[in-house]
Amino acid sequence: MNAKRQVVVTGMGLITPLGLDEQTFWQNMLAGRSAIRRISAFDVAELYKAKNGAEVDSEQLAAALEAAKIRASDRTVDMGLLAASAALASAGLLDAEGRCTEKGVATIIGSGGGPILTVEEGYRRFAELGDRGMRPTSIIRGMLNVICSHLSMRYRLTGPNYMVVSACTSSTNAMGIAFRMIRDGYADRALCGGTESFFASLVYRCWDKLGVMSTNPDPAAASRPFDTNRDGFVLGEGAGMLVLESLEQAKARGAVIRGEIAGYGESSDAEHMTRPSVEGQVRAMRAALESAETSADEIGFVNAHGTATKTNDECESKSVREVLGGSADRVPVASNKSFFGHMLGASGAVETAAALLGLECGRVPPNLNLVNPDPLCNLNLVGKDAIDVNASVVMKNSFGFGGNNAVLILRKAPVG
Amino acid sequence: MTRPEIGEKLRQVMKESVRKELDWQNVTENSRIAELGFDSLSILDLVYDVQQAFAIDFDAEELVGVRTVDDLVSFLEARLQ
Repeated sequence: MNAKRQVVVTGMGLITPLGLDEQTFWQNMLAGRSAIRRISAFDVAELYKAKNGAEVDSEQLAAALEAAKIRASDRTVDMGLLAASAALASAGLLDAEGRCTEKGVATIIGSGGGPILTVEEGYRRFAELGDRGMRPTSIIRGMLNVICSHLSMRYRLTGPNYMVVSACTSSTNAMGIAFRMIRDGYADRALCGGTESFFASLVYRCWDKLGVMSTNPDPAAASRPFDTNRDGFVLGEGAGMLVLESLEQAKARGAVIRGEIAGYGESSDAEHMTRPSVEGQVRAMRAALESAETSADEIGFVNAHGTATKTNDECESKSVREVLGGSADRVPVASNKSFFGHMLGASGAVETAAALLGLECGRVPPNLNLVNPDPLCNLNLVGKDAIDVNASVVMKNSFGFGGNNAVLILRKAPVG
Repeated sequence: MTRPEIGEKLRQVMKESVRKELDWQNVTENSRIAELGFDSLSILDLVYDVQQAFAIDFDAEELVGVRTVDDLVSFLEARLQ
């Protein structure tokens, strides 16, 4: 096996409630525009306690699918296909027919629910029509890996091809696994990231019943990470995909290098299904720093998990402070979820893209709605305006139900 | 439902069900279904979509002998009577 190789990002694709392309997404973030509205996918007037969401614009999504000649099938698959296309195209890896020009590209994708909207529709048809309502292809439409399989087939990605399922850490785990594959020589390139949607009446109601989402009547004010008056997360949807490759391979073909995945750490709390643990999170962050052969002193800003639940933000603040130590009062911390809510399995990938964009242009978007910082969240929290930073290293946290912790260390380009 | 109505409706169902880009101008009654981009898997979806659209039930095995679009129209016409 080769010595450890450097792993760089050469492509990005984003389908988000803040825009269906990288530039629109980033400009909206820097301008402090929230994507959170009252949910439109189904009627939330009655029954639902949490009525806010960050949805991808359905008309824009349909237009993008048509332009890409993608037949709409499942919203989560569709968003993943579009984000993957943008990532591969921006990496310069698609030929005129939209097929990948390189052999053996891995496809490692995270999603908490996978094609759960299709599964819900299947149950609905069965409830309405009985056996006659059951599609003969329900299995191949509803299996989790329908997502990565569609990506692999459409773009001819012939390397390892599977899903990573770990709730809200899914796509961060997926990127971390892809990073290790390339670093250790098992693949030269990977498409990795996540895609997620839970905006259908039944599966959304499952979240609603869990009582972890904000019931704030004002959509734009509902997602308030680290604020004293936060009352839960807002659900978002979207897809984020990155192309990773070894530094040598990227240089050899003259690819534009957007940044480096410098390290990855992961851990399990092994304690509780929903209550996070400082100890588990700290272990993941320290493992990531060790993997990147760097230290907390090098971190220029932290892209937080920051869900805006009471429990997460307090626990994450303690963990980050413990890891940053003496740097904790200096290092800016922000949660992108104040803009587009919690994309669950896709959140890590979309937020990693935002962190890379922040490194590129030396800006950290604000923590929207941070009016009264919670004294229990004792960090150097970015306020209501974007700030300038001179950072070359970022820590990206993702934590998930089930006690999963995944952390990436990103480094600014140029690298090498 | 008249035969031309069945034919037109079937055409719409097939358009929505098939995953391949097709030039529907060139699809005639004599076009063979297997040549329209349906394979052993997607034909299952077509059967389902036809059943839902025409609100009828039949087993896929009953389509043995159905080769062309016209054959399928005849099959549906018989079922709908």
